[in-house]
Amino acid sequence: MKIKFLRVGVASCGIAAGADKVFEKLCEKAGDIPVIGVGCLGHCYAEPLVEAVTEDGSSILFRDVKGTDEAIDNILSLGEKDRFEIPEKRKKHELVKVLALAGKVNPTDISDYIANGGYEGLKKALTLSPEEVVNQVKISGLRGRGGGGFPTGTKWSFLAAKQAEEKILICNADEGDPGAFMDRSLMESVPHQLLEGMLIAAYATGATKLFIYCRAEYPMAIKHLRIAIEQIYAAKLNIVNGRSLEIIIKEGAGAFVCGEETALIASLEGKRGTPRFRPPFPTDSGYKTFPTMINNVETFGNVPVILREGGEEFAKTGTESSKGTKLFALAGDLKNPGLVEVPMGKTLNEIVFEIGGADKDNVKAVQIGGPSGGCIPVELFDTPVDYDSLKALGAIIGSGGLIVIGKDRCMVETARYFLDFTHRESCGKCTFCRVGTMRMFETLERIVAGKGKESDLEMLEDLGKKIKAGALCGLGQTAPNPVLATLRYFRNEYEDHVIRHRCTAHQCNELVKLEIDSSKCIKCKLCIKTCPVDAIDGNFNIDAEKCTRCNSCFDVCPKNAIFRTDLEENK
Amino acid sequence: MSIEFTIDGKVFSAEPGQTILEVARANGIEIPSLCREQRISKTTSCFVCVVKDCKTGRFLPSCSACPAPGQEISSNTDEVWDMRRTALNLLLSEHSGDCEAPCTLACPAHAAVEEYVRAGRQGDFLKALTIIKERIPLPMTIGRVCPRFCEKDCRRNVYGKPVAINDFKRLAADLYYDTYMEKLPEETGKRVAIVGAGPAGLSAAYYLRLKGVAVTVFEAMPKAGGMTRYGIPEYRLPKKAVLDREIAHFEKLGVSFEYNRTLGKDLSLEDLKKDFDAVIIAIGCWKASGLRCEGEELAVPGIDFLRNVAENDNVAANPGKTIVVGGGNTAMDCVRTSVRLGSSDVSCFYRRTEAEMPAEKIEIAEAKEEGVKFEFLIAPVKLEKRQDKLVLTCRKMELGEPDASGRRKPVEVPGSDFEVEADTVIAAIGQGTMAPEGLPVNRWGNLESETPAPGLYAAGDCVSGAATVVEGVASGRRAALAVCKDLLGLEEKAESTIFVSRGSWQSLKREDLVFLRNDVSEKDRAKQDLIPIEERVSSFAEVAATMPPERVMAEGERCIECSCTDKKNCKLRQHAETYSCDVDAFKGEKIAVSYDTRHPLIIQDRGKCIKCGTCVKVCKEVVNKTLLSLKLRGFSTCVGTAFDGGFPDNCAECGACVDACPTGALDWRHKA
Repeated sequence: MKIKFLRVGVASCGIAAGADKVFEKLCEKAGDIPVIGVGCLGHCYAEPLVEAVTEDGSSILFRDVKGTDEAIDNILSLGEKDRFEIPEKRKKHELVKVLALAGKVNPTDISDYIANGGYEGLKKALTLSPEEVVNQVKISGLRGRGGGGFPTGTKWSFLAAKQAEEKILICNADEGDPGAFMDRSLMESVPHQLLEGMLIAAYATGATKLFIYCRAEYPMAIKHLRIAIEQIYAAKLNIVNGRSLEIIIKEGAGAFVCGEETALIASLEGKRGTPRFRPPFPTDSGYKTFPTMINNVETFGNVPVILREGGEEFAKTGTESSKGTKLFALAGDLKNPGLVEVPMGKTLNEIVFEIGGADKDNVKAVQIGGPSGGCIPVELFDTPVDYDSLKALGAIIGSGGLIVIGKDRCMVETARYFLDFTHRESCGKCTFCRVGTMRMFETLERIVAGKGKESDLEMLEDLGKKIKAGALCGLGQTAPNPVLATLRYFRNEYEDHVIRHRCTAHQCNELVKLEIDSSKCIKCKLCIKTCPVDAIDGNFNIDAEKCTRCNSCFDVCPKNAIFRTDLEENK
Repeated sequence: MSIEFTIDGKVFSAEPGQTILEVARANGIEIPSLCREQRISKTTSCFVCVVKDCKTGRFLPSCSACPAPGQEISSNTDEVWDMRRTALNLLLSEHSGDCEAPCTLACPAHAAVEEYVRAGRQGDFLKALTIIKERIPLPMTIGRVCPRFCEKDCRRNVYGKPVAINDFKRLAADLYYDTYMEKLPEETGKRVAIVGAGPAGLSAAYYLRLKGVAVTVFEAMPKAGGMTRYGIPEYRLPKKAVLDREIAHFEKLGVSFEYNRTLGKDLSLEDLKKDFDAVIIAIGCWKASGLRCEGEELAVPGIDFLRNVAENDNVAANPGKTIVVGGGNTAMDCVRTSVRLGSSDVSCFYRRTEAEMPAEKIEIAEAKEEGVKFEFLIAPVKLEKRQDKLVLTCRKMELGEPDASGRRKPVEVPGSDFEVEADTVIAAIGQGTMAPEGLPVNRWGNLESETPAPGLYAAGDCVSGAATVVEGVASGRRAALAVCKDLLGLEEKAESTIFVSRGSWQSLKREDLVFLRNDVSEKDRAKQDLIPIEERVSSFAEVAATMPPERVMAEGERCIECSCTDKKNCKLRQHAETYSCDVDAFKGEKIAVSYDTRHPLIIQDRGKCIKCGTCVKVCKEVVNKTLLSLKLRGFSTCVGTAFDGGFPDNCAECGACVDACPTGALDWRHKA
């Protein structure tokens, strides 16, 4: 069999694993065979990934490809080594629609996109009236993928109804949740799909000016978008409603809160990126007081799909209240982290265990929706993932970050970690968020250090609820979620910390010590040599006073003889 | 087209664009807000103005939310108050400043120390005296004998010695004792009897007279003054030159005195209650505690010893070799009086060590200078008379565990008894109240309550136990205010309950202090001139002279002026009081001390900033200058000038930001 062409995943995730070297080496050695740099296939755990497409049209995947001659030769000869099959279980649940072209087309080549059905949606839209396009989106049941879940078609109709000199369309690409990378992948892998969605929206709503507000930490996404924009200008695809639309990329300066729409607009206007009270909503008064509509990257990514297959067809996927597919960024304590697209309504069991390959015996919970979301304990993993089911459990679908939390993680520490993020990212404008999240964070710091009091738990709950009720914007209104959710499902862990001064998961350094199990120890002395503070003596006793709990010995021990345990006085 | 909606069940109509807060205020509904300033665009920052939308259950910042048709707003429920209180408590938890100066907080009478020191610094001692007399009606006396609670908490202790605050009182009072006169209101027709002409009784009389109440003071002794006359020795408080003059002022105010009238003997409470509209008992603590050992009757009670000297114009027999048992101020008065009566051998025996002595340090030091010997860790076990001499058997002690007062408890050392000979043994152990019959007393024998019965009030030592003059004066004022409230329905504006503090000086470093003025004097504390030691030990002449005005004025330059420039107008404090906030409800990090006094007239103190950005918007939207901006994010958010260049000089002519600031974060530096 002859190789027709080769695809190498060179999105940020691939490059982080060394795909750029593999790409270079393949180009060097492949001779006449075209080597195409493509985006992300979603299998982070198997990067760098190379796909060989043979002349008979079959596809052979190679995983963990090294940039060595041997590995490259193996691919070019279609050798048996490094072969990769997408796991059956994943195939069973996955439904790739938005990401259909990710990893398949060259992100910097518009013709590749068009050859694979790209801009068909736009073409179709232009045959309909703007009202009919809005209607199709309404029929599709698409809800905002940025976290809020507001019906997209309804939002579009608000803007469409406005009469104004300028109408603004903004793509929110300020993906800021730690552990979330759906939007990045989409922009890096199929930037044209985002632009197509925006152009359709511009047609439907009569928008005159288009912005993409993208975080500056996504240089490849920005680069690919800039190339794509030049290409659509050249192809005159940006002429909509008889106007030549300009698409402006604005790079964010790193503030998480600028993902909030009013803060984003303020930042776009060149002002301090802080939110303001709504109403007025942006569709009434947004960028420079013009009617403005903001959709998230993934939302726009869905639009060409809706137009291509029709709103009704789109609505066949998903649950009653949540239609279509959803992208999830799987991370944390699981075997197969990565990006996955599944129909709305898949259960957490299916996503975490079957797709993510997490170890059933070692999962405690999942944090969904990033720092604004909440955790769901493993006992509730048969919950279908859609907007309303998760809300009922005190979590949110959010943007789709899904972090699996293993049994050896402390839930108090997990909450502290997220609060550390949110309190730093507070813009400082409103009292509840600026001071309230700080006070919650400080209390959690005390608790993980074993200095908490029982009354702290009531205080956290009470203050958390008030911050949710009182904060100005979504950041503050959701910041207490990780704490309230862990207090709801893992109160026993909090009580362990504040009453018994012990960390259930043995994670909190101030509450544990390290010990060596002499029955497992082979006296290799690696631990003694590794310890940076000489806390381990010749008899393999660890001096708890000297030990900084850095875990160096734990990590280096070949026999897993070192373990973390409660301090003597708290046992 | 107006919008109909309800607030607390009442229907209101709003014009489009009008906020809930505006509608509420226009209709007399009180909603607090710190950050709403009409001239600028909405800041939506403080969230003290929250109201509840009953239908959605959402809390809305009323400063920014416009009413929707049919909306039902509640602005006055417990839940809404709780949210507002939480917002205020959170703001207080990051607030760093001093709502009141530590000296004033430390003063039992809450005298406005910073203010009278400032008046003195500016040479206006009459104004200083006026401020002092708002709380302290015996400034000549207290200016001499006060243990200076204020100075112990003075922030100048952080580097060097405290400001010599009490000397301001003394000088101001000495300068104007015969010319100063309060303006008295018309008589109300109410008559009050006060039993006891000591500090508490005099103080009560003073504040009652200022409200037009007729006062008769009944005094058991032949003269007024109480313990200040019969307890405090002449060398600390001259009777003719000082006390008599101070008392004379009360007569000028129309207070009538009836001397040699003892409660329970020549007077009965029942009669007084019949004859007067109210009765204040201020009889003091005149019962001396004994040595609590065998032969204690052979010892002279300390206050009796002092009274005897005072009653005989400081003429009394040389007590010979004298031992004073006790470690308080009365003990110091006894040893120093004994020296002045000619004794060349005076000792003070105390059962703990010098560190635990309750007496003032200065008193101990001056007693030592005058030749008094101190023996510590000694307790009397027996006193007997052998021939002409007294023999005091003592036991050595050592310090054990701390007791309820926090001081280490003395424990007897077995077999350590020894004997000492003396001509006079004085017991200065403590004093108690001789409570009138029928009034409930506490376990120390003092009156249980400041309001023992309807129409009956109690003040001073007889309630608190033996205390200082300034505490007695404070208590007397409280009694007077209570009487005025009950008799005249006069409700004094309640004292503030909100006191944010940067902390006690012990917890501060010099960098933590905020200097309002650039020219706070670096000089050492001013010293009083003392008469020569030979004169001290041989006469009852007043030991220390009043400082001259120049010296006191210069001393005033040492005052840092710790209290907030905005203490009278701070909205945060006002709302916090209304909402019964707790400055310690949330504890945590506060912004590090950061202030800017580069501008000659404006101070910016970031610790007091609530980050509402009102100043920023006022400068931008009203003044059209844009000299200010919010900087940084989250908890570190602050207001700053471009490149931290400070305020331009001509900001002094505008000051719009200063006037708009809801707290003292931006304020005029010069305190009035």
